[in-house]
Amino acid sequence: MNLVIPLDAWRLLEAHLEAAYPNEGAGLLLGHANGQGMQIELVLPLENRWQGEEQYHRFVLRPQDFVFGEAEAEKRGLQLLGCFHSHPDHPAEPSEFDRDAAWPNFTYIITTVAQGRVTRSRSWRLKEDRSGYTEEKLLISEG
Amino acid sequence: MPSIRIPTPLRPYTNGQSEVAINGGTIGAALADLTAQHPALKPHLYTEGGELRAFVNVFLNDEDVRHLQGAETAVNDTDRLMIVPSIAGGNTSAPLQKVDHTALRVNQACIIGLSIVAFIFNAPWLAALVAVVMAYGTARQQPGFRALYSGFLKPRGWVQPDVIPDNPEPHIFAQGFGAVVLAIGAAALLAGVSTLGWGLVWLVVALAALNLFGGFCAGCAVYYWLNRLKAPGFAKAPPPGTFPGMRPKA
Repeated sequence: MNLVIPLDAWRLLEAHLEAAYPNEGAGLLLGHANGQGMQIELVLPLENRWQGEEQYHRFVLRPQDFVFGEAEAEKRGLQLLGCFHSHPDHPAEPSEFDRDAAWPNFTYIITTVAQGRVTRSRSWRLKEDRSGYTEEKLLISEG
Repeated sequence: MPSIRIPTPLRPYTNGQSEVAINGGTIGAALADLTAQHPALKPHLYTEGGELRAFVNVFLNDEDVRHLQGAETAVNDTDRLMIVPSIAGGNTSAPLQKVDHTALRVNQACIIGLSIVAFIFNAPWLAALVAVVMAYGTARQQPGFRALYSGFLKPRGWVQPDVIPDNPEPHIFAQGFGAVVLAIGAAALLAGVSTLGWGLVWLVVALAALNLFGGFCAGCAVYYWLNRLKAPGFAKAPPPGTFPGMRPKA
C-alpha cells in the first residue's frame, strides 16, 4: 500500500524528530485510507513518555495519547492510520523490540536521524501473523 | 451487558465494529468472551505464553485494570471497557555500558611513557613488553595496565574515576590494534630494521597521545566505520550524538 504525506506535514514530522535528537521522538498519523492507499492529512507530534534514561533507543506513547489521537481523528472525519518514530543514528528498519510492541493494520514510519539531521525514512506494516513487516511506499506530495 | 471499545488497528478483526457487547463477570472472563467471539484478535492481545501483551491496556471506566485487580477485577452490566494500545518501539542498540575513562587514560599514559623510554634507551624488548601487556589486556577485555590503576593509583586517590556511558568494545579493539602495530614494530627492531620499527612505535605513541590529550580514539573510529559497513563482530554503533571515535559527553 502507498502512503502519501503532504510536504508541510512532512516538515513538521522532521522538525519534531530532529528536536528530539539524541532521543527518540514519536507521534501519530491521521488521514484517509482506501483500497489503493493512504493519504496522511495530519501529523500529531507527541512526547516520548519512556521512563528512565533509555529514551535514546526507546519510545512509548501513553494510552491517553492514543485515545486523544482517535478522538482528534473522529472530530476531523479522519482515521488514526499509524505512528512515526525516529531511530537516532540507526537504520530506518524495525527492530525486534518494534515488532514485539507493534500493532497490526497500523503504519509505522521509521526515520533515521543521524547527527541531528533526518537522513532516511521508511514505512512499515506488521504482517498478520506478526512474523515480520512489509514495506510500504512512502511518497511526499508537493502542496 | 457490558461493552468493550476496540481500538482502530483491531477493528478489522471485529467486522469493523468499534464496540462489542461481551459477557463475563470479571475482566479475564470478558476478554475470553471477546476473543471467543473474534478469535483473530487473540495473537494481538496475548503473547504465545497466554499473557496479556505489555503494550495492551485494558481500561474499566477510564481506570487501567492493572491498577485495580487485573484480570480478577469485577465487571458490572453498566461498565464500559476499553482496549487502548500503548504505541512503543525503539532501535536494537543495547543500552550503553559504563566505561571508566580514567582507566583508559592511565593505560594510554603507560603505553606512551614506556614506549618513549624504550626509544630513549634503545630497548626493543621494552616495546615488545608493552605490546604483550596490551595483548593480554585485549584478551581479558580490559585495559592492559588496569592493575596499576585499580590496584595502586585509584585506592590512593591519586586519580579520580571518570565513569561515563559508552561502549567498551571499541576501546578494547583499539588497544588490540595498537598491540599488533607495536608488536610488528618490536619485531622489526629485533630484526634490525630500526627505522620501520621505531616508526611503528611512534605511531602507537602518537595515536595514544591523540586519545589521551585530544579525546579522539582512532581505533574506536575504525571500529565504528566497520560497524557502519556491517562487518561481523562490530555490533556497537557510536553513542547517540557522538562523532565516531570521539569521547562521549558525560
